[in-house]
Amino acid sequence: MIGNEKILRFGILFVFLLFNTIYSSAQEIESKDQCFNCHSILDGKLKTPADLYKGDIHFRKGVACSACHGGISTEEDQDKSMSKSEGFIGVPGGLQVSKICAKCHSKEFETLSKSVHGQSSTGQGLIINNCITCHGVHNIIPVKSPGSKVNGKNIVNTCASCHNNAALMRNYNPGLKVDQLEKYKTSVHGQKVFSGDSKPANCASCHGNHDIQKVKDPSSKVYVTNIPSTCNKCHGDANYMKEYKIPTDQYEKYKHSVHGVALLEKGDLNAPTCNKCHGDHGAAPPEVESVSKVCGTCHVLNSQMFQESPHKSAFDSKKYHECSVCHNNHDISSPTDEMLGNGEKSVCVKCHQNDKGLRSAITMRKMIDSLINDVDVANYFINAAEQKGMDVSDVKFESNDIKKVLITSRTITHTSDIEKYINTINEGFKITNKAKISGKEAVDEYYFRRLGLGVSTVFITILCITLYLKLKKIEKKQQKT
Amino acid sequence: MIEKKSLLKKGYSWVNERFQLDSLISFMKKKEVPLYHGTIWYYFGGISLLLFIIQVVTGMLLLLYYKGSAELAFESVQFISAKVKFGWLIRSIHSWSANLMILSIFIHMFSVFFTKAFKKPRELTWYSGFILLALGMAFGFTGYLLPWNELSLFATKVGTDIPKAIPLIGGFIMNILRGGDEVSGATLSRFFGFHVALLPGIFTIILTLHLIFIQRQGMHAPENWEELPSASKKKIPFFPNFLIRDLLLWLIIINVLSILAVFFPWELGTKANELAPAPAGIKPEWYFLFMFQTLKLIPSRVLVLDGEVFGVLLFSIAGVLWFLVPVWDRKSKAGEKRYWLSYAGIFVIIYIIVFTIYGYIAK
Repeated sequence: MIGNEKILRFGILFVFLLFNTIYSSAQEIESKDQCFNCHSILDGKLKTPADLYKGDIHFRKGVACSACHGGISTEEDQDKSMSKSEGFIGVPGGLQVSKICAKCHSKEFETLSKSVHGQSSTGQGLIINNCITCHGVHNIIPVKSPGSKVNGKNIVNTCASCHNNAALMRNYNPGLKVDQLEKYKTSVHGQKVFSGDSKPANCASCHGNHDIQKVKDPSSKVYVTNIPSTCNKCHGDANYMKEYKIPTDQYEKYKHSVHGVALLEKGDLNAPTCNKCHGDHGAAPPEVESVSKVCGTCHVLNSQMFQESPHKSAFDSKKYHECSVCHNNHDISSPTDEMLGNGEKSVCVKCHQNDKGLRSAITMRKMIDSLINDVDVANYFINAAEQKGMDVSDVKFESNDIKKVLITSRTITHTSDIEKYINTINEGFKITNKAKISGKEAVDEYYFRRLGLGVSTVFITILCITLYLKLKKIEKKQQKT
Repeated sequence: MIEKKSLLKKGYSWVNERFQLDSLISFMKKKEVPLYHGTIWYYFGGISLLLFIIQVVTGMLLLLYYKGSAELAFESVQFISAKVKFGWLIRSIHSWSANLMILSIFIHMFSVFFTKAFKKPRELTWYSGFILLALGMAFGFTGYLLPWNELSLFATKVGTDIPKAIPLIGGFIMNILRGGDEVSGATLSRFFGFHVALLPGIFTIILTLHLIFIQRQGMHAPENWEELPSASKKKIPFFPNFLIRDLLLWLIIINVLSILAVFFPWELGTKANELAPAPAGIKPEWYFLFMFQTLKLIPSRVLVLDGEVFGVLLFSIAGVLWFLVPVWDRKSKAGEKRYWLSYAGIFVIIYIIVFTIYGYIAK
């Protein structure tokens, strides 16, 4: 009990001291800053800065007007306080504004200068965004204050004041879309932010604040290879995401998926990352019905075939997430033929048990295994012939079609049409049979050539011996005569 | 059997009545070939002739399928090698035989040089033989481009670039050879024409003259032959003794060609691409290599001359001097032999061998 009293007393003392410090700083300005004193009693436009400044964090921290505008704040005589010889600049213009802020906030200004907003604007000597574009002027309050223009709840509108303005954006990047705010409103992030939750992602969460770079700049937080880690900053933080009750292992799964490996390890910039499936400004998990449409933006044929297959209605009736039922979502692995049939890694057995569907899947698996085996045999003969120095370029070229057949047959599995599948695989068998025959023929030809050489050598040798004997006979006869 | 013989005799007498075969055979029987340790060198003329005949026959067979255009040449040779029955064999024999023919002509030429068989009255035989060697090399140069593969394209570029160094007419000669400023499809058509029409035509005329000269002058005997006692002057009749020996050697050459064609088939390489950069290590055929390597070693400026001009001039002078060998080798007034020419010949052989090997080793 005594302990609690002590804490309470200490708390009161702390609040008092804090209030006193702020109040005394403000009091000091009110009493000593003659700029503030005079402008406070003026009318109209000249009064507004002083009125606004009362709520400004700089006012509370005791930053005098002369800190930004120059001159001598403590001087009552207007000629002296606003003397140019004393450094009075009046209303700062252009780049001067940011440079004045940089006197204290140098790091922020340095970062801003290197960002996309720090580049030259259409106006002379200006940068696209200076400090007051986002933070306001004379009424700057801490970022965490709900009224701040750059507070999590307000920043979206602050950014949209330019990015939603097609006429303005056309000056800098005519190709850049100006519907980010509209999309954001439809996103899970936007809906939560606008309903009063400050935790979900806003513009700065993904793009940064002073350090915003163009999306195509590899140093940008939203450059294609950086997107997964940017999203993961929140979505991978179990503590932060606790109240939303969604998994936080997406990044770990994605990193090892076929898409993640393609993007992060192989550097394939076309590989899908978080925003390709979920959307960027309008980010939301794909609905049950739209999964195949989302996957189908890249996997067009697979999606079309699935839509026409008997699986479509079956999945719909059970509200299955289409593609992800067999392929998973964030941890999609490279599909293998083992996914077919009834083996250990089969996905068919998830739903099918000893029915027509499973029998079809088993047939499909047997056929493709058999074709792959045939391809190996054909390659064996072709390689054997090639190693023997035979020209098999034609057969090799024709055999390239087998890759097409394998891709087609694997795609056709999405139709679940066994007849179509068999016909496709049979095309493959035709190619491998031809390749096997040609390869064998080339090997046979190799041995035939050697046999032919042997026979001709024997024949020539016999002919040589005969000629030699004939010559000896003639010479013997000549010697006698 | 009796019927057969009489049929053969009938056939012979039918031809004999019209073409006087008896007189030809008696001429050949009278013709004699000296038999001594250097007799072996007599065979290389015959071997060169055999290889030329093989070139003509295989060349005609290749012509049935070969297409002399930049778009089709490579594919047609590929077709010959892969699809035409025994096409691979014909093509390989044609390529191997071409190289062996040049080698055989070189050996034949040097044997004639060292046995002094070019001396009076055989000067014209030497001159015609020299022209045949030059034509043989021209056959090789033009034929090398015909498969239109990467190596042949760039080797031809290098080869046709050399005449450009000749002052005044160099650019004109290069243009005539290439059919334009660059080696292109026009060069291929041109080389094809040279290879199958122009060169064979000239070669056949010169070869006929060369053979007529040999027949008219008989076989050359070694220099000290006259001084030998008649018992030591061994001779064999040209027909049938020498001819059978010739045939024996021809059969062996045919067999060697078959072995080379089967075990070392001539590769086709990759199709020529005029826009592609030159691959590393471009080298001409082996019989041009000693000249190529020499040109590479000559500094860019020799006295007042451009290095390349100097090289071309050097080989042109050397060629003319070699051509005029019968003029240089005349006995001195005192009847003494002039050995310096033989030493020069040895130097030429060593130079060719060393620079050819160096050309292969050098990067």
